[in-house]
Formats: sequence, structure tokens, C-alpha cells
Amino acid sequence: MTRFVDVDVRPILRAGGEPFDKIMEAVNALQPGEGLRLFATFKPTPLLHVLGAKGFEHEARALDGGDWEVLFSPSTAQRPDAATDTLAGGDDTPWPEPRQHMDNRDLDPPEPMVRILVVTEKMAPGDVLSALLCREPIFLFPELAKRGHAWRGGFEPDGVTYKVLIRVGAGREPAK
Amino acid sequence: MPGVTLSRWTMSYFATALVSLIIAELLMTVGYGYPNAPIRSAESLVLVHLTALGWLSLLMCGALHQFVPVLVARPLHSDVLPLPALACLVAGLAALVLGFLQMGGLLSAEMIGFPVAAVLLAVGFALVLWNLARTLWAARPLPLPARFVAIGLCSIAATVTLGIIFALVLGGVAVNPHLVDITAEGVPLHAIGGLGGWLTFTAMGVSYRLLAMFMLAPELDGPRTHIGFYCGAAALAVAIVGGVTAICIGASLPVILGASGLLGLCALVLYGADILRLYRARKRRVIELNSRMAAFALASLAAAAVATAVFVSLGALARHIAPVVFLVVFGWLSGLGLAKLYKIVAFLTWLECYGPMLGKAPTPRVQDLVVEARAVRWFVLYFLATWAATVALFFQNPTAFQVCTGLMLIASLCIIGQLGRIRRLLDVNPTMRLPTGARLPQLLRCSVQQR
Repeated sequence: MTRFVDVDVRPILRAGGEPFDKIMEAVNALQPGEGLRLFATFKPTPLLHVLGAKGFEHEARALDGGDWEVLFSPSTAQRPDAATDTLAGGDDTPWPEPRQHMDNRDLDPPEPMVRILVVTEKMAPGDVLSALLCREPIFLFPELAKRGHAWRGGFEPDGVTYKVLIRVGAGREPAK
Repeated sequence: MPGVTLSRWTMSYFATALVSLIIAELLMTVGYGYPNAPIRSAESLVLVHLTALGWLSLLMCGALHQFVPVLVARPLHSDVLPLPALACLVAGLAALVLGFLQMGGLLSAEMIGFPVAAVLLAVGFALVLWNLARTLWAARPLPLPARFVAIGLCSIAATVTLGIIFALVLGGVAVNPHLVDITAEGVPLHAIGGLGGWLTFTAMGVSYRLLAMFMLAPELDGPRTHIGFYCGAAALAVAIVGGVTAICIGASLPVILGASGLLGLCALVLYGADILRLYRARKRRVIELNSRMAAFALASLAAAAVATAVFVSLGALARHIAPVVFLVVFGWLSGLGLAKLYKIVAFLTWLECYGPMLGKAPTPRVQDLVVEARAVRWFVLYFLATWAATVALFFQNPTAFQVCTGLMLIASLCIIGQLGRIRRLLDVNPTMRLPTGARLPQLLRCSVQQR
């Protein structure tokens, strides 16, 4: 039987906070064979992918009142590969405050991606850019990976706004 | 959130599909097949399969290899399988055409076309389905547009299975009485599975996402969209599962098809309401050509649904099935396909050529790759000619029909010419066309970005 460690991020979300660091802290503190029981105010779809890449299977269940309970249990299959670490952010340590903020929610695709890449080209290694988007920028991620940047992203509690943090030059070596 | 790269072979699918469209329009223009030959004649079947399989299915397969990953925000399971799948599908289509020609006595040879087609098409579609299903499976729970695609994939599996049964029975390989009954009576199920489930239902799902994306409209995920999804899925299940069962146990097929039709109509009405909402709720007031032309295609679907309901109530659907199917195939599916190709080819070409240059050098916008003012006239000609051809079919006037399909052919060729210009960046301002380090995209294949 998998033993589950409870993490309730609903208070953080209701206060408008970002629970990613707390969740990753809890995940890293898990003993082999332990799982995580997460309580959130919405279904944390991006997190399912992130923890999936770290080798966790999930089971999500809607609770009364619109909250969600997600059980993450260690997968028996071998999953993680070198790329997923970068994709999930490269490391789990806290990042510096963003040096620049962008709101790209009202732009036609692919203009949000264009503006983000224009800005990241001008930023210094280690700087963090924060951008708000109206959807997950799936074509942007491979381009960030190629340029050696790391990113963390996810939907905000409103379920509509996607916030991505990009740390310049913090990923793997750029692809040649 | 690993992101999505370009699908390497999508352009090859598109090119092959467009060649099939042109051949089909050419055949109609010279008077081959219906209405100059009976609707179930070998000639008409050649035409139908060139269009449904060669044009629309290859177009859909190519698009899904790119857009299923977009819908579920995960990479395609395999970037290698699409090429052997395409080879099998094209060879299978050629064998199928050969089989029809042998069936009609137009080619005197051993009836090997059908069994060979059955094997090749089964392998080709199995490869496509495996690849797309694995991609979807890895992304569970699926967002609603991807669930439409999943039902579409089930439908093509059923359609191909029925087609294989027909091919094996007609090729003299299968003699089981149930399979013979299915071959005799199952053609409507094959058509509903293909045109309704595979092509229309999948296009509906993808259109929810693409229209919202290109018009900056909210993603719809409300009860109406869900009910529409369940109605449509139920309509297909009733038609295909219920229909096959009815044939095997000797029950009434029209009753089953009637029930399926009602559910399908509900799904279309709910879909129509959703699409109107998308167009009205869009933040982008001036919409691009592809979204304007998609509206013509959606109007064609609505007209076909209304016409079906009217003909059914008058008991005249069997007599007027040809213009209805023609409008669905060329007004709705082909019209939507051509309109979306105009955007998709430009976007993929832009991403392939300029993606790596963004922020490093001045690059054109996606819209700088196209000249909408020039393309719009060919799209308008295409839709007007298609609607006129539908009317000509309704009034059973073969000459007028051939003139109209000739105009459709001209319009399609000119639209393809525009797509070629986009792919070769011919309309991009020369000062920005190829910044240092950028490479001109190949016409038929995308260079895949390195991870």
C-alpha cells in the first residue's frame, strides 16, 4: 500500500499565492514508495504533467464545493528522462523575483510567443521573465529549450490565465 | 508540459490530399461518375473514395498529426510512423480504385484490387490510429476537443472495418452470410461512420479549439458543449453499433438510422449554437480570411442538416441524397479544409522558418506570408461554385453540374497556388524574407526542431 502525505494548498491559492514551491518541496521530501495527496481549489492539470514527468501516476477526484483531491503515487514504470527535468524547470529551488512582467493575454497567436522571445533575447542569464497568456504556449517551449532557457508554468486559479516564468539561460545546454 | 514541435510529414499528407482533390474535381468536370453514371456504379465509387479517402482523410490525418499534440499539449507519440502510414494509405487507395474498376468490368484482371486494398488500408489506418491514440492516451484526462477526436478515431476504425468487410466480400475472399448481409445493406453505416463520425465529428472538435484560438474567443467547456458531445457520440454509436446489429438480426435499419439522425441533429444544433457564440464572443473584431471562409463552410453544414430534416419529413431523402452528401463533402468538409489549410500552412511555415530567428533578427508576421486580398476571390469562387453544383445536382442537370465542378477545379488550383506561394515565402517582403541563418522550407516536408 502506498502511504500518502497530505498537502493542502487551498489556503495558499485562496490567498492568491503560488503553491508550486511548496508542492515540489513536499514531493522532494517523499520517501521511496510514498505518495502525495494534494488538495487544490481547481484541477491542477499542468502539475499532473510535471509530476508525471517525475514518475508519478495520478488519480484526480472532484470534491464537493468545487475543490479537487489528487492522489500522486510513484509509478512502477520507468519514466523520467533528461529532458523532463529542464521542462519542469530544471531544479526545484526558488527562483529570483521576475525582472520583467508581460501581459500577452489579448494578443493574437503567435504574437505572445514572438514578444516573449524578443524580450528573453535582451535579458541577462539568470534573469526571470513573467508572462501572462490566455493559453498554454505549447509551441514556445521547444524554442525555449533550444535556446537553453528554463521555465515553469501553470494556469492561475481563475483557470483561464496561464502564467509562465522563464529563467534565461538556466536550462540545459542549448541545442546545436 | 513538454511542448509541441512541428509534425515532420504533415505537409506531405496535405500535398497528397490536394492532388486527390484535384483528380476528383477533374473527373467530375469531365463527367466521370455520378450524375452521368448511377450513384452505386464503379465510376461513382472511384470518385467518392478519391474524395473521402484520398482528399479528406489524408487531410485529416495530416492535420491530426499536428493538432492532436496541440489539443493535449503533449508531443506526438512517434514522428516516424506517419510516413509509412502515408505510403500504405496511398497504395491502398490506388488498390481500392483498381478494385472498383475491376468490379465494374472496366479493367479485366483477377480481382486482386480489393484484398490488397483491404490489407494496405488496414495497416495504414492502424498506424495512424496507434500513433494518435497513444498520444491521446498519454494525456488523459482529455480536454473536450480531444474527446471529439477520440470518437472520430473510433469512427474511422469502424468505417475502415466495414470497408474491409466490403472489400473482402466483393473480392470473393469472405463468404460468411452476416458479412454478405453487411456488404449488401451496410453502405449507409460506412458513409455515416466516415463522413459523420470521422470527418465531421473530428472537424467539430478541432474547430472548437482552432476558432477560439484564431479569433481570441473563450474556450467553450460548458454543459451545452458536453451535451452536444454526448448526443453526437450517441448518434454514431446508435448508427454503427445499432446498425450492424440490426442488419445481423434482421431488424429495421431505417428505425435505427432515424434514431441516430435525431441525436445527430441535436448535436449539430448545439454545435451551431456554440459556434455562433464563439464568433460573437470573439475579442478580435476583424477576423482573418480562414475564419471568414470557415463561416461559409459552417453555413453549408447547417444547410445540409436543414435539407436532410426537410427531405426526411417529406420522405424524399433517398431521392435527394446526392446533393446533400455533395454539400457536406464539398461545402462543409472541403470548404473548411481549404480555409483552415490557408492558415495552417502559413503558420507552420512561419514557425519552421522564423521560429528559431525570433528576437534575434527582424522577422515577418504570419500574416505577412499571405495575401488575403488575392486569395479571397478564389475562396468565394469555390463556395459559389460548390453551392451552384449542389443546386445542379438537386435539379439533376449534369451539364450545369460539370460547369460548376470545373469552376471548383479552377478555384482549388488557384488556392493551391496560393499555398505553394506561402510555402516558398514568395509574398514576404524581400528585406525580411530570409534573415541570416534562416532556411527556405522544403515544399513537402517540415524540418523538425531539435530539442
